[in-house]
Amino acid sequence: MKLFNKVVGASIPRADAHEKVTGTALYIDDLRFPRTLIMKVLRAGVPHATIKTIDISKALDMPGIHKVFTGKSLNLDKDHLFGTCIFDQPPLAIDKVRHAGEVVAVVIAETEKQALAAIKNIFPVFEELPFTLDPIESASKEAPIIHEQNGNYRHVPTFVPEPQTNVFYKYRLKKGNYEFPFQDAEVTVEDNFEYPLMNHAAIEPHGAIARWDHTGELHLWSSSQAPFVLREVLADYFKIKLMTKIHIHIPYLGGGFGGKSDYTIEPLVALAAKLVPGYHVKFVLTRKEVFIGSVLGRGMKGQMKLGAKKDGTLVGIEATQYYSDGAYGDTGCNVVLAAGHNCVGPYFFPNCNLKSYGVYTNSTPVGAFRGYGHPEGQFMIERLLDKLASTLEIDPNELRMKNFLSPGDTNSLGQVISDHNGDIRKCFTQTITKLDEIPLPPEDEKFFYGRAVVGLIKSPVQTANASSNVFLKFNEDLTVNISIGGVELGQGSLTVLAQIAAEALHIPVDMVRINYEINTQLTPYEWQTVASMTTMRVGNAIIDACNKAIRKFKENAAEVWGCTVTNTVYDGTKVSYQDKSLDLKHLVLGYQYSDGHTVGNPILSTGSSVVRNVTFPDLETGQYQPYEWTFGSQGVDLKISKNTGEISILHFVTALDAGKIINPALARGQITGGVMQGIGQALKEKIEYDGSGNMRTVNLRRYAIPKLSDMPKKYSCIFIETPQPNGPYGARPIAEHPALGPPSVILNAIQRATGVSFTSIPVTKERMLTSLKKGGV
Amino acid sequence: MELKLSINGKTYSISVDPTDTLLHILREKVSLTGTKNGCNQGHCGACTVVVNGKAVKSCITKARKLENADVITIEGISSNFNLHAIQEAFIEATAVQCGFCTPGYIMELFALFSTSPNANIEEIHKSLEKHLCRCTGYQPIVDAALLAQEKIKNA
Repeated sequence: MKLFNKVVGASIPRADAHEKVTGTALYIDDLRFPRTLIMKVLRAGVPHATIKTIDISKALDMPGIHKVFTGKSLNLDKDHLFGTCIFDQPPLAIDKVRHAGEVVAVVIAETEKQALAAIKNIFPVFEELPFTLDPIESASKEAPIIHEQNGNYRHVPTFVPEPQTNVFYKYRLKKGNYEFPFQDAEVTVEDNFEYPLMNHAAIEPHGAIARWDHTGELHLWSSSQAPFVLREVLADYFKIKLMTKIHIHIPYLGGGFGGKSDYTIEPLVALAAKLVPGYHVKFVLTRKEVFIGSVLGRGMKGQMKLGAKKDGTLVGIEATQYYSDGAYGDTGCNVVLAAGHNCVGPYFFPNCNLKSYGVYTNSTPVGAFRGYGHPEGQFMIERLLDKLASTLEIDPNELRMKNFLSPGDTNSLGQVISDHNGDIRKCFTQTITKLDEIPLPPEDEKFFYGRAVVGLIKSPVQTANASSNVFLKFNEDLTVNISIGGVELGQGSLTVLAQIAAEALHIPVDMVRINYEINTQLTPYEWQTVASMTTMRVGNAIIDACNKAIRKFKENAAEVWGCTVTNTVYDGTKVSYQDKSLDLKHLVLGYQYSDGHTVGNPILSTGSSVVRNVTFPDLETGQYQPYEWTFGSQGVDLKISKNTGEISILHFVTALDAGKIINPALARGQITGGVMQGIGQALKEKIEYDGSGNMRTVNLRRYAIPKLSDMPKKYSCIFIETPQPNGPYGARPIAEHPALGPPSVILNAIQRATGVSFTSIPVTKERMLTSLKKGGV
Repeated sequence: MELKLSINGKTYSISVDPTDTLLHILREKVSLTGTKNGCNQGHCGACTVVVNGKAVKSCITKARKLENADVITIEGISSNFNLHAIQEAFIEATAVQCGFCTPGYIMELFALFSTSPNANIEEIHKSLEKHLCRCTGYQPIVDAALLAQEKIKNA
């Protein structure tokens, strides 16, 4: 075998870095097409209302205007709804408005200025209705009904709505003695928690460009993590019978974090473009529109109760979570499911009684957000474990070590944990050891100092038949092109996947090019780029394709030699058999004899990876087979100013057992970035509405994402690498995980430092100071 | 109005509205799309370019203030096929993820190191604080800034 530097495990530079540092990488707003019109929208400005009239006549007559339309003017009705699980959403409001950011009218114009001028000359008349933004209030019988048709919408069988209420989905998980989960408990603790609505705040705003050609084919470019979901949704909505008539293109994405998964603005842009066939219609959201007119994340209010023996052994858990999912439920429903069973964290409970509700409210719709239903439960359970430890007067770290899921234990879903799921105890103890390297100072005149450590677990939440597929071709010079449907949104997939291919083919990584030109006409099917699954699922598909390519090289050589394929050896430069060998370059187009005649075939292959054994939830018990798990731990040292309440992160440690790390520098970047997002959630970020039901936090000042000055003084990243048997070279998902722990671990450290117990986030410095002044200490 | 200015060393005369922003002029009038529009409100720094030697947010810089200005954008700092040291440093320090904030950071540092090659860490932090990055957690960007400074000094 030819030896070459092992590329898996090496921190090679990003494949897309050159384009990105020179400004040549193209994002949606950078694309330029002929015959492009600009689209702008009028949003309701009232959170819940019946639409009486919308006068568009004046706007229609303005210069440069091609079209102005409303839901009514296009005669849309209840047959014009889209979705993937619950088909409850129109592309724009038809009869009623369900959130203040909802689109009520659209203008298509020659220029942006003309479009904006026309928007000012559209006059809607609303009859306002009572509105609700609180999920618990909205789930009550007295709440104003947001969807009169709840229960009548088309939906997949696993999502059971409660008609005549705002509850569009309820999930129940039962394990063990779920009716009396605390029968064997000697002590119980409980609390109410709130994880507010948040925004992904990718620095690139959402955008889409659509064109219908005169044969009825739809071309769409979008800043989307989900080209194939878009194709399905648009085919369904526009009743396009042949998917070959839909062309979805995805340029680079300037961040996603779940906010660009599933769909957001695309059905509306496609609807608008259909009115002006032949033209490209371009719609890029303003920053304010990203907040009010795309999707939000989280928005949970819940209660949790834990029961334990006096020695700290956990015996039971009960939790009820209400999700404020906004005006439409489709993008939120699977988050509600994941949150329902994941709130137990990485701990063993024999008895579980868990309920989660997806509730319509009058906010912007809610969808996936890095962590997908895990951070909410993680927050509750880790806060409560500290309360339990204090009640039992047990060391909180010992309490956790005692109850972590061990191989052989069943988690809440009834799934048996095995060795290869990773070593959470190792993650936890190494986090503590790392924190111990820098002693925590004692309280002084100016500051409190606090430290805490928590465990974490995450499963990639994905549809039961999710798959990744790739096309691979060897070029004449033995370079390799691989086409994938996974989207590069910053996570580094183009680089990591090239490393996996190079390793599988035993060739240098610069011989491999992962094509970045996603076009659903050319690119093989990919479910969507979510759930931290690109390294694992696309990586496995690439290994499959590489193995098939190697097999084809061997077949070509075997045909020359008249031997069986099994006895030939491929080493990345040649195929050999006994004392004979042929360079790959003599086999790559088939083998050509000196007289010119050729045997064998050029080297092309395909590869696939389908998630196996994932099932739908059982309607009675809520249990099902999810995918694999990644365990981890996070710890923090922080200080709190007694004068200002300001909370500064001194040292943030993350230890993840993500299996084999393919590219340590990129993995570390996922951790520092995820931690920073989690710190933002703990200390700064919250979507707020004013009394009129309009969002107040509509820019990047009011919605304060972390800045450089919020960065921990020190980040530590520890990789435990227990191999994943079915992962590419032993790799497991990693990308969402670092964002899970910061809220709980920071609030635990605050409580240990000051005695102040917070059960909601963010803990801003103002809030901290107010609590300190109240004498929380 | 007819605006005369220099962009990346070339002289342009462009018909603009006095209220047009430099960001709009760069992206829509001369097709320099390397400068990014993240918020159009001066909050995120993605649109930062260098005007008369200073880093400015092009989304809040109006055309009427740009007569005879000397503008440098991300497209103007590498020569032929050679990257600028700051660009190299962003690659080597893994400071690029989604890349949308990257041109703004690079131009911020280009202005800083052009005027203060020996800027101390507080000055570097102060410059970088004007920008938002949602991907990296900032440490890699600080690392890249320090590496770039080193490269420029040793050049």
